[in-house]
Amino acid sequence: MKNLVLMFLLALLVVATASSLWRMFAETVTIDGVRPPLVAIGTDPVPPFPPAPPKPTN
Amino acid sequence: MESNLLHYVWQDSGILIEASLVFYLAWTSQWKGQGAVDFYLSSLVVGQLTRACFLHEYGWTSLRYYYAYWSTDFLLVLSAFGVVCLFFRRACLHEEKMWRLIRIFLVLLLVLVAAISGVSLSLNRHDFFTYFVVVFNQKLYFACLVLNTLLYLMLHRMNSADDQLELLVCGVGIQFAGPAATLALVYLTYGGRFAKLLAYQTIPLCTFGMLLVWAYVIVYVPRTAGGLTRRDVLLPAVPAQESKL
Repeated sequence: MKNLVLMFLLALLVVATASSLWRMFAETVTIDGVRPPLVAIGTDPVPPFPPAPPKPTN
Repeated sequence: MESNLLHYVWQDSGILIEASLVFYLAWTSQWKGQGAVDFYLSSLVVGQLTRACFLHEYGWTSLRYYYAYWSTDFLLVLSAFGVVCLFFRRACLHEEKMWRLIRIFLVLLLVLVAAISGVSLSLNRHDFFTYFVVVFNQKLYFACLVLNTLLYLMLHRMNSADDQLELLVCGVGIQFAGPAATLALVYLTYGGRFAKLLAYQTIPLCTFGMLLVWAYVIVYVPRTAGGLTRRDVLLPAVPAQESKL
């Protein structure tokens, strides 16, 4: 039981650290007033964020 | 897109390296011995081929590519979390008691991230996909970054003899820490002159760096038997005359 509580607290600490990192760097960053791409995995080109609205079709 | 050619070079080289490594692992019969590595490389190949198809078909700014990119990213982040868990397992191969604790910790961590994301999603139902991507993917990504750092510190604390595992963890570290560090740099420089270039190029570059490190490890660094720890190895006794010197 004691170990379970300890592990829960450790997990909470890791989530809090991750959340703080994300809030500090990813959420608030803007370049020329536009939000840059978020962190991701892969060697593909990252799509712009937020996405461009779809063009209206005639 | 400012530099189409560079983007395509990164993308195609990445897929080529991943496919080559999967083929090499299968060819040299290392497939079963590298549970985490082949699982992650296979996920990367599948995810990136899907993205490449959508990119080729619909273009970089299309909404479909956007959805395909972040949907596959969700799978890749989950795979990355799985890889970090399997690396923890490999590090604790002879420490069953420690592994039981770490297993509870990892499960609790995933449940916590899902629970926090669930709360946030329930408040923003109008734009489910965007919030899902932002909240769950990003938080799990940063959680993996913290976990990987903890694993690296744990390996040093345990004085692990598994050199291959250490290098694999370093490779994952490049992939996770690189984009986060770039965002930090962009934040600190208030979106300066090279911010846009950095922000768009770093993610492919860091994954490419990870693939190169993994390629070196898989081809050149042999796996030590079962993740033995160096602390059990007895040091040779120093002769009395030498010790006086």
